[in-house]
Amino acid sequence: MTEFLTVAVGFILAMLALGLLSILRGPGDADRVMATQLIGTGGIATLLLLGTAASIPAAIDVALTLALLATFTSIAFVKKGLSRFAADGTASTEDE
Amino acid sequence: MSIETVIEIVLAAVVLTLGVWTIVVPETFSATVGFVAYGLLVALIWVRLDAADVALTEAAIGGGLGGVLLLGAAARLRDADMMADARPGKLLRAGAAALSVLTAAVLAGVVLLLPDPAPTLAPAAVANAWATGLSNPVTNVLMAFRAMDTMLEKVVLLLAIIGVWSLAPDSAWGGRPGPRHQADPRGVLAFLARLLPPVGIVIGIYILWTGSDHPGGAFQGGAILASMWLLAIMAGLADTPLVSHRSVRFILVAGPGLFLLVGLAGLLFGAAFLSYPPALAKPLILGIEIAMTLTIAATLGLLLAGAPERSTEP
Repeated sequence: MTEFLTVAVGFILAMLALGLLSILRGPGDADRVMATQLIGTGGIATLLLLGTAASIPAAIDVALTLALLATFTSIAFVKKGLSRFAADGTASTEDE
Repeated sequence: MSIETVIEIVLAAVVLTLGVWTIVVPETFSATVGFVAYGLLVALIWVRLDAADVALTEAAIGGGLGGVLLLGAAARLRDADMMADARPGKLLRAGAAALSVLTAAVLAGVVLLLPDPAPTLAPAAVANAWATGLSNPVTNVLMAFRAMDTMLEKVVLLLAIIGVWSLAPDSAWGGRPGPRHQADPRGVLAFLARLLPPVGIVIGIYILWTGSDHPGGAFQGGAILASMWLLAIMAGLADTPLVSHRSVRFILVAGPGLFLLVGLAGLLFGAAFLSYPPALAKPLILGIEIAMTLTIAATLGLLLAGAPERSTEP
């Protein structure tokens, strides 16, 4: 079972590396942030598998933290990055 | 070569590539996005190295709040990017490159010259865990064996928030930080900001509570609470508080204040500054951690919200 989990970790890591290519290529900021979200999701999967395979129970807590904060980062990107108005402090609207 | 080794090599290669790209890429905003992904992946490495406490902090700060802080800064600097196309001179660039190479070489040399096995106090910290009743050695070191350092760190957080507030214009002094966010109350953002914080608050408190016996603690828990608060603010469901409000100021000093009081009590009734009586060590440490979690959540939230921009009159 442990071997299977480890191979699964390897597979997800390979997918993470592909996601990394998307960060490097872009071309837009939104593409890069979406790739970061993919890496966050893959990272959570890796942590859960790794925590089970290597019996590190705390890996689940790290995965929980990562799940909450990766969501938060993407929201912040939408609010701060895409909306030009948010940057100058006069007004802020949801991106339409 | 076992599959674990292959995985470690792949992970290290991915992180190194991302690190180099983050430094090389010209656009500030892309570099920031790369840095966020870098933080997420470094958390994986810390778990692989059996340092779950560090991984939690890296996930909360490196991949989360720190990334958001940099995203905000990059968004503000975006227009400045276009103006700053005057490249520095050849001499300056060669000097900077030489200095960077020298620093990297010295760091690499120091790492290679480390004594093997490295001198460590870890066995002593584990052996003396009975003194506090907590079984997480990291929390023991932070809250008991090196409590002075932790207390001073919290004072530094307080100084940081004073530094940010001092950037406020006179007219906005004492007002609310950041813009008033608005979002469609039936939109997906407001929905997420209603759905996620109850879960996040429970997880934040859990991370604080589990910190006494397992990886976790006040800082990580506080960072999660801060991000949930900021989520509600960004969705327009809550507004940032008036920084002149008495309760805000009280929460900001509660953590370091309680820490200092307990420390002085140790000086008066016990052996030394910050010495806990063994019977009361665990409740005292937990009490300080709960106050510190509130302070850290408020401080990190207000640090990210920025300097007061709107005056007390709406």
